Amino acid sequence: MTWWCSATGVPWVWAWRPYPGVWLFLAVLGFLFYRFGRSGPESARHFGLGLFLLWIALDYPLGALGGYLAAAHTGQFMLIALAAPPLLLLGLRPRIAEWGSSLSGGQGRWLRFLAHPGPAFIGYNLIMLVTHVPLVVDGLMTSQVGSFAIDFLWLLSGCLLYWPVVAPAPFWRIGPPVQMGYLFVQTIPATLPAAFLVFSSYPLYSLYELAPRVTAALTPRYDHQVAGLMMKTVGDPVVWVTMAVIFFHWANRERREDLARVSGAARPTTG
Amino acid sequence: MVGGTADVRLGAACVVAAALTGCSGRGTPELAGDLGGALLPAAVARPDFTLTTVGGESFDFRTRTAGRLTLLFFGYTHCPDVCPATMANLGAVLRGLSTTERALIDAVFVTTDPERDSPAVLGPWLAHFEPNLIGLVGSAEALREAQIAAGVGVAARQDTPGGGYAVSHAAQVLVYSPDDSAHLSYPFGTRQAQWAVDLPKLLERWKGPVR
Repeated sequence: MTWWCSATGVPWVWAWRPYPGVWLFLAVLGFLFYRFGRSGPESARHFGLGLFLLWIALDYPLGALGGYLAAAHTGQFMLIALAAPPLLLLGLRPRIAEWGSSLSGGQGRWLRFLAHPGPAFIGYNLIMLVTHVPLVVDGLMTSQVGSFAIDFLWLLSGCLLYWPVVAPAPFWRIGPPVQMGYLFVQTIPATLPAAFLVFSSYPLYSLYELAPRVTAALTPRYDHQVAGLMMKTVGDPVVWVTMAVIFFHWANRERREDLARVSGAARPTTG
Repeated sequence: MVGGTADVRLGAACVVAAALTGCSGRGTPELAGDLGGALLPAAVARPDFTLTTVGGESFDFRTRTAGRLTLLFFGYTHCPDVCPATMANLGAVLRGLSTTERALIDAVFVTTDPERDSPAVLGPWLAHFEPNLIGLVGSAEALREAQIAAGVGVAARQDTPGGGYAVSHAAQVLVYSPDDSAHLSYPFGTRQAQWAVDLPKLLERWKGPVR
């Protein structure tokens, strides 16, 4: 029974196939959110959109193609680690803020610790770099459990990446300008695997070098180069979107505060 | 490739072919252990068969490739896995060689699917990987004889659901040296990096005449 997408070595065909493990995983996340994390329609919209992006990344066809093409594998990475986590965290944010005061000391300390840019930077990049090492990819992607482990680690790394910028007030450690700088710096280490993928003389991953071809036009070498380019030309802008959202939220808040100050100062005093 | 009897039969076929041709002791070049290919149990004589190139001319394999470093692979264009991966890897490395180095190597692809691999189909398919690959076609009988002569398992047609068919065929690349024998074969799964290391070494040791 194939419950999770992995590299099978079977020739690729454009024919839908079910991956019940993916559905179960998403259903469990959805249930846990509904039961414990839901907090109004906006949080449900955010979390639902995050789940939708996860579904696109994990299910047929992208999830299945991830066992054949390095470019598809990179597409999965961007959705799982870069696009879905901020939405999932935004969905949970109000409830986590409520929990903030009631969490035990240990749990609260962990969430506060992880909201610091240092641990988040190390945690995200360690996972990102390790899960792109050829030995790890070639070794894990050929089994469903290994493939699930990579996907799960990516989701975890994405949550680490965005927690310092999405964390609600009780755990909040850095202000908007530092958040934007932090996110920009986070995009730098990914340049390393991207450069290897683009500039390496020969394909890095034997899995994708020897996999049955999906299309004759995309040779293993081109596939690796596309994957590397995607990491920078698509992956980075995904993070920049978050930076832009932070900037405009911050600018709007500052403007409202300025207006409030100005209108307060202009109000005539009596007495 | 579908199925896998070819690899199993290769060793025995090589021994038989070597015994029949008496080639094993004839000017065997020095073989170092630092090559990625698998050393054949006994040298196999450069096979004697004549097929047709995708350009329509007759190609006597033994005569045309005599004394030259030659890579020989049997496959078919509708192959979903082994053939495109092997040819993509080999083609990428051959493209990376200098013009001088490339001129010293013959890379020959013999179809095992005479029904579908016409010259018009095989030519562009091979050119996609590398423009100087030599594609050979022929009648079913001539192709069968070529495979027997090369000491590889004879390809077999296998019907697939939906009315199509696949072809089970040998998956290795045979390497013939200038002594007109094959001493090495490279199995499916040989990576580009390995070819890139080994081809210059093979050239250095077994350099034949420039064509």
